[in-house]
Amino acid sequence: MNFGMPLLILMIAYFIGTHLEKRHFQSILKREDEARGFPVVSFDTMPDNWTASRSDLVSGSVVISLDYFKRVIAGLRGLIGGRIKTYEPLLDRARREAVLRMIEDARSQGYDAVFNVRLETSRLANATRNGKGTAGVEMLAYGTAVKFASRFANAQ
Amino acid sequence: MRFVARQPKEGINVSDTHPLVEAGTLVVGLTAIFVIIAVVLIFMVEVVLYFVSAEDEAKLFDGWLPEDLVTVSYTDERLLETQALVDRLVLHWPDAPYEFRVEIDDSEQANAMALPGGLVIVTQGLLDEVESENELAFVLGHELGHFKNRDHVRALGRGVVLSIFFAALTGNDVAGIGIKSADLTLRSFSRRQEARADDFGLQVVNSEYGHVNEAWHLFERWGGKDDSIIDLVKYLSTHPDSGDRAATMKRHAEEKGWQSDGEITPLSW
Repeated sequence: MNFGMPLLILMIAYFIGTHLEKRHFQSILKREDEARGFPVVSFDTMPDNWTASRSDLVSGSVVISLDYFKRVIAGLRGLIGGRIKTYEPLLDRARREAVLRMIEDARSQGYDAVFNVRLETSRLANATRNGKGTAGVEMLAYGTAVKFASRFANAQ
Repeated sequence: MRFVARQPKEGINVSDTHPLVEAGTLVVGLTAIFVIIAVVLIFMVEVVLYFVSAEDEAKLFDGWLPEDLVTVSYTDERLLETQALVDRLVLHWPDAPYEFRVEIDDSEQANAMALPGGLVIVTQGLLDEVESENELAFVLGHELGHFKNRDHVRALGRGVVLSIFFAALTGNDVAGIGIKSADLTLRSFSRRQEARADDFGLQVVNSEYGHVNEAWHLFERWGGKDDSIIDLVKYLSTHPDSGDRAATMKRHAEEKGWQSDGEITPLSW
């Protein structure tokens, strides 16, 4: 009797959440395929003989929220410890989406590559429950976008 | 060597386990663990009951009140009357180890509870619902029966188990609500406890009034009432089926040869 409502919300959250996740992954795969030739690396320097004609900071950020189903399963997992498997695809999506947005930022400004790529994450506190709850997680990808001097651009 | 850009492999950072499999494993596993813990704790409560006498318990919980209880004023007329009624009923249980205290819970839902240290809690909803002193006396006698059998300590022990479960499950600080709701819900698992408390309640009512008329009238009303299905469902979740209960009590009274008709004492409110 008392468990009926939460169970219903749990089921709705599961079906909607699964559907949205599937769709997001499809979109990510498609856009990653389009961005495949674009170099995105974590080196903080360019090779010695390369020169850049211009460079700038580019970033991509995404804020994701936990659905009720994932939250409940993670809560159960939290009792005994171990991999929170329901959060893994969530954060994987966030990372890849942030990097994709960063690439889109760089491309739209005509850059050739992004160096020194870093990922950062932070928790957004929930306004309710004295900030104890988690409203969502922000994933930020940033790096130095570089426009190569012309001969390298040709060499590409 | 020519570099060919390739897509990274899928699934490195994501587990293959289907979320429903993960959910099922966790729910089944944790339920099993909690059942084991609950059985052990219930057993420990029995051990504690064996070593801690009712007198010690009364001393330990002297003046104690649940934190989340919303009580009425000390001078409330119904509170004083109910306390007086309990004091009168206790005279028929001469070796009672408790000094019974009555508190009225400001709740619409009709219910009564027995808590450690001789604390009897009745709700505003119950006082609104009862139609005669005899009905109320039976409910109070029933709670006294719980004290006699020390069911209230068992219920509290189980309540702690359930509140730990709730707190762990929701990550929330709901221990107080847990104890209260567990105290109510888990009693339904033990119909024998309820039946024994009913028997004692009847005995007390019979000694007080010389008959058991109207004692189970409340349950007959609830049993035959369809329009307040919500109330009924709520009450059933904590106590045995009202209809069955009235029938059982009737049978019990006949066996004991207690008179089922007699003068009804009206309530003063």
